[in-house]
Amino acid sequence: MAEQQKAILVGKALTKQFKGLIANYQVDFTLNQGEILGLIGPNGAGKTTLVNMISGSLAITSGDVLFKGKSIKGLKPYQIGRLGIARTYQIVKPFARMTVLENIAVGAMFGRQTKKQGIRRALDMAGQIVSFVGLEKVRNQQADQLSVASRKRLEIAKALAMNPEVVLFDEVMSGLNSKEIDAAVALIHQIRAKGISIIVIEHVMRAIKAISDRLFVLHHGEKIAEGPPLDVLNNKEVIQAYLGKRYQQAVIS
Amino acid sequence: MLTQVIINGLLKGGLYALMAMGMSMIWGVMNIINIAHGSFIMLGAYITYWLFTGFGMDPFVSLPLSMAVIFLLGWLIQKYLINLVVQADIFITLLLTFGIELLINNLALLFWTADVRKVQVGYGAANFQFFGTTVPYVRLAAFILALLISAILFQLMNRSRTGRAIRATSQELDAAKLSGVRVGNIYASTFAIGTSLAAAAGTLWAILFPISPTMGGILTLKSFVVTIIGGLGTMMGPLVGGLILGIAEALGTNWFGSTYENLISFAIFLVVLIFMPRGILGVRR
Amino acid sequence: MGITIAVAVALPFILNNFDLRTATDILIFAILASSWNIIGGYTGYASFGNIVFFGLGAYTTTICMTTLGLGFFPSMVLGGLLSGMYGYLVGLPILRLKGHYFAIATLGLAEATKALVQNLNITEGNSGMYLPIPDFSIDASYRFFYFTSLAVLLIMLLATYFLLKSKFGYGLIAIREDEDAANSIGINTTLFKSAAFGLSGFFSGFAGAIYAYQQGFIKPEPVFAVTSTVKMIVMAVFGGIGSLWGPTIGAVTIELITTFLTDYFLIIHTLFFGSIIILAILFAPKGIYDIFTGRKKLGIVYFLDNIRKNRV
Repeated sequence: MAEQQKAILVGKALTKQFKGLIANYQVDFTLNQGEILGLIGPNGAGKTTLVNMISGSLAITSGDVLFKGKSIKGLKPYQIGRLGIARTYQIVKPFARMTVLENIAVGAMFGRQTKKQGIRRALDMAGQIVSFVGLEKVRNQQADQLSVASRKRLEIAKALAMNPEVVLFDEVMSGLNSKEIDAAVALIHQIRAKGISIIVIEHVMRAIKAISDRLFVLHHGEKIAEGPPLDVLNNKEVIQAYLGKRYQQAVIS
Repeated sequence: MLTQVIINGLLKGGLYALMAMGMSMIWGVMNIINIAHGSFIMLGAYITYWLFTGFGMDPFVSLPLSMAVIFLLGWLIQKYLINLVVQADIFITLLLTFGIELLINNLALLFWTADVRKVQVGYGAANFQFFGTTVPYVRLAAFILALLISAILFQLMNRSRTGRAIRATSQELDAAKLSGVRVGNIYASTFAIGTSLAAAAGTLWAILFPISPTMGGILTLKSFVVTIIGGLGTMMGPLVGGLILGIAEALGTNWFGSTYENLISFAIFLVVLIFMPRGILGVRR
Repeated sequence: MGITIAVAVALPFILNNFDLRTATDILIFAILASSWNIIGGYTGYASFGNIVFFGLGAYTTTICMTTLGLGFFPSMVLGGLLSGMYGYLVGLPILRLKGHYFAIATLGLAEATKALVQNLNITEGNSGMYLPIPDFSIDASYRFFYFTSLAVLLIMLLATYFLLKSKFGYGLIAIREDEDAANSIGINTTLFKSAAFGLSGFFSGFAGAIYAYQQGFIKPEPVFAVTSTVKMIVMAVFGGIGSLWGPTIGAVTIELITTFLTDYFLIIHTLFFGSIIILAILFAPKGIYDIFTGRKKLGIVYFLDNIRKNRV
């Protein structure tokens, strides 16, 4: 029997309303310490909006987000980043005219500071991370000259450099080929092994199944299922909304 | 007395609206801020002046002429100059139009000297009484013309083929290209319409106020203010903005003194930009 | 680098006073262009109103020296500090705007400030203000202004150099490259941007102070002229934005050409500036510094390529 898991990030009845559109409605979720929570759902379901609310990029219309028990609602993105929650962007946002190393170092300079992080320390830390994510070969290249897969790795590296306790990955595997996806899955496992709790938004089904401890599903802005992957993926509503009958048949057989 | 102030403000506001209409259109469609806007107003004013002193042509008659000449000039400038950098960083296009402004202004100074001129029409002082306020005929005529030209522009943009092409291009550049719209020409036409509107404002200005080659600078800035207050992306924006600015200036200078006119305009400008950057009618893009 | 500085220091002993004055003007523009570079080049917020800091520096210095009876150096520092603070405080709301809106907001700021100065009593409105005459011999005073400007420029470039290598510098460039990502990564962009704007104002204020004392008399129109803002931007762009020496190179180049034309082709000179902007923008928007630091294509191919990339 699993020990009592400690929740590190909790969303309570999160709602986001734009002028006429409700993008998220009363979404609850729990991310436990050291766990990988997969977030899936059709396009437009409100996944990125949820991430934006957690990270402070979007104002929360109603509801709350608790990080280690304390509300982070209303904090600015940079404050949330410094507290220990890092995120990646679906369409990657590298600092184009800086080198790969410098990009990562910026994360170390401004992220969660457990020690006084000067430039030199930041660059050292970046040096370690650049190896960890497998970008040593291009460490001195300008970010805008990288391949798609490398850019995705850089996006992950920047988040890691912030020394986070929680990372929100927004479709880091889109645009990757099969081999690259496997590498990304391995990398995410290694990140969790460092003790970091992760929420992963993904469309690539085999990847999500390979990495998620639990899944939760958004549809039309609302949560329609949450739990262990096998339960969720066999949930009738989820299949209807997102996976399709063919998938169900494939799973059963 | 207060009504006189407000009437004055309204009449001037109509002129401001016409001035800003061209700038608003160019900005809205092509995302270009035309710093040389005031220079085109100045050119329109001078065309009217020279036709008046040279041929005795009544300024109201010269209006379509000055619009036509500047339409052509604007078309050429956009097509062969600005189109070359239209996709670049904003400050590139800002600097380019600034260079154009300097060039036009300095050429004007060179040929026409810095002397202040005035179109002295015989009927300039004629006015009528309206509920205790004095309304000069020329001001009223300028106001009505400004509204008329705006209405014509509105029709043009909504009914004609060119107008629809312009609107399509401004909303969805790639889709417009795919539909066969010759974007380079559309941009040229848009700029040309914008500058000819400026010329029209210039003609009307020349009837009411003195002119000089450097008159454009402050008018460009005022056009910004009007555009920002009213909001980009609508026809009515400059109209609303122009009237508001005209009245605000009239009231402000009445209370504080005429030297405060610019301070009032720019104070409003900054306040609107900071708190309501979309303006009153602005469309979310 | 050392050679340039050695030459610069030697200049006052070689040139006559008239040319020395020109050299001083060039230095003042170099300070302005380099200051602009802090907010425009490194942070990516193209301000079109930086002249406001020049004017504020000029007027603060004048008021300090006349009304308060302070010496030049304290007045100059106060001028810089006031301009810097103005930039920081006004920056807080204004830097929320982006792109075009920011550009014209700064234009409006410059115009509004000018209008304010024109209406205040302490600045004598539009009449202008006189400054005390420097207590040197003629030759010495020309050299004084030259060396003061040179010192300010060098100190400023040194400070900027160290700034760039600091967290602040990385933060500014991150903001320029992607402000959303900068926010997410933990940078307090509002603070950084405003500080950059304030810093840009601080140094521009010094330039205004030197100008005022050298002129002996200032009026609102010349010290708040928008044309000068554009001049400093063109110099920075021409010389190379986002590089330390670029704006200075641009200032020297453009001013020398302008002076040359004024001497020999007075009539064309007025048309020169407008034309040079147009040509520079069309053919080399990244600046001549960019050309020298390793663009793969040189010459006419580079120029035509620029146009091809940006045209409709």
